[in-house]
Amino acid sequence: MTRNRLSTLLRHLVLLLFMALSAMPLLWMFLMAFRTEGDAQRAPLGLPSPWTWQNMRTVLTSGSFGHAYGNSLLLCIVSVTVTLLIAAPAAFALARLKFKGSHILFLLFLLGMMIPVHVTMIPLNRLMGSGGLGLKGSLWALAGPYIGFALPITILILRNAFAAVPQDLLDASQLDGCSTWAVFRHIALPLARPSLATVIIFNFLTMWNEFAFALTLLGPKHHTLPLALSQFKGEHDIMITQVSAALSLVIIPLLFIYVLAQKHIIKGLTAGAVKG
Amino acid sequence: MKTRRLTPYLFLLPALAVYGIFVLFPIVDSFRMSLYRWESPFLPPTFCGLAHFRNLLHDSVFWHAAWHNILLVAGSLCIQLPLAFLLALLVNPPTWGKTLFRTAFFAPMIMPTAAIAILWQYVYEPGNGLLTRLIQLAWPNFSYAWLADPACAMLWIFVTICWQYTGFHMVLYMAGLSTIPNELYEAARMDGASEWQICRHVILPAMKPAIAVSATLSIIGSLKYFDLIYLMAGGLPEVSREVMATYIYRLAFEENQGRYGYGSAAAVVLFLLALAIIVALRGRTRRDA
Repeated sequence: MTRNRLSTLLRHLVLLLFMALSAMPLLWMFLMAFRTEGDAQRAPLGLPSPWTWQNMRTVLTSGSFGHAYGNSLLLCIVSVTVTLLIAAPAAFALARLKFKGSHILFLLFLLGMMIPVHVTMIPLNRLMGSGGLGLKGSLWALAGPYIGFALPITILILRNAFAAVPQDLLDASQLDGCSTWAVFRHIALPLARPSLATVIIFNFLTMWNEFAFALTLLGPKHHTLPLALSQFKGEHDIMITQVSAALSLVIIPLLFIYVLAQKHIIKGLTAGAVKG
Repeated sequence: MKTRRLTPYLFLLPALAVYGIFVLFPIVDSFRMSLYRWESPFLPPTFCGLAHFRNLLHDSVFWHAAWHNILLVAGSLCIQLPLAFLLALLVNPPTWGKTLFRTAFFAPMIMPTAAIAILWQYVYEPGNGLLTRLIQLAWPNFSYAWLADPACAMLWIFVTICWQYTGFHMVLYMAGLSTIPNELYEAARMDGASEWQICRHVILPAMKPAIAVSATLSIIGSLKYFDLIYLMAGGLPEVSREVMATYIYRLAFEENQGRYGYGSAAAVVLFLLALAIIVALRGRTRRDA
């Protein structure tokens, strides 16, 4: 028994050590956000002395940041919604309806999950440019690629969910006179609700954090949050306290949401891996 | 389910249209553009056949970039995954703190990679960064420009990658471990198996699928490295700073570059490489199953 206790204690010591190590950069950054620049140069390891809210104020009043928050929110809500609206019927068809080419189409969708999105950076730039859709520079240039690249994982997860709906249930409702659409909309879709939550979380976080497309397709006026961050870092490079404040303003709200909904978020982010 | 013949296609049409325009068409377009010399948006492209691909063969920056991809995936497989496995083994036994540790280690996965890159640039700052200052506690004269060292910068970036993703793989392994019934451990202990034997003959065989999944994700994911490398390695000389995706970006979009055709050729190589890896891995998992 004592030997067991000892090994448990040892185990937890190692884990706590690892946890402290991995939390240290974040903690250091949070504290940095409340330091004066002089304090940051003198003693960047202790507690801030004096504490100051000035960095937070500077970031929040710089304008571009609040704007980027709004942009990211709008873009993500629209893209996540559209993804769900068009992916759900497609996933239902792939899971439950028999038709020619269904297997090929499914594989085609899976392809988009595996290949690096960066393959499409140059052609998408051409597509969005003035010779194509003319969206380059605006926020909406991102919606198409975000939705397009969210479809594979969304369809994969929802297809598995629809495949788990009992066949009898679908047959019975069809016998009662439901159209295929009604079966999908009123029988299968409500049963897939947990998976809908999963893909909403997954897609939202992926789009919220996306950087490469934002870097190539957005103009100087419209930034999403990750791009605004890197821009802010570029302009205020030597002001470590201000950049830390900006980072904290991005990361702290995310951590809050994460702690509140961690079960769903962890499930959402690992679902693609487990079911792929 | 029985339906009219056209119905399934109507269900698929919107998704297929969006997917076709924003994913499939660009892939095909990059193949086409890789055959053209196209240096400026204001000049018409001229056909040049496979010239770009011939040039890629002799492009040392491209080969270095590919080499960095390989180094990073090797690092993930040999260091990050075993570390994640170890953490999962430590977290897994049913005592207090399981949820706490899982939550804490997984947390970096939800943050924007761009934010992580910026944070770690300050951690590695030569004068005032966290790491530099911590080492200075022991050696007051220590000074080292971590991310400006061409020989080791990728290694330091790899540390950041581990910081970001180890928790993710740990969670995958925890899910795998939870499928092993407790009776199996007990039976093994009754038979007098040591902890090491249990690990070797009970846990490892049961964890094969989880290991396969996390290794596959690491390999495929390694071709997708962009944000961290682009933001953290920017200060290095050309041959030391690129992975394939950042090189494609720099060829096309960085100032004075605008080499869309050549960049597309590099993108085609990246695509074919990804495709080859996927086919190879799928073939493997099929045989195993």
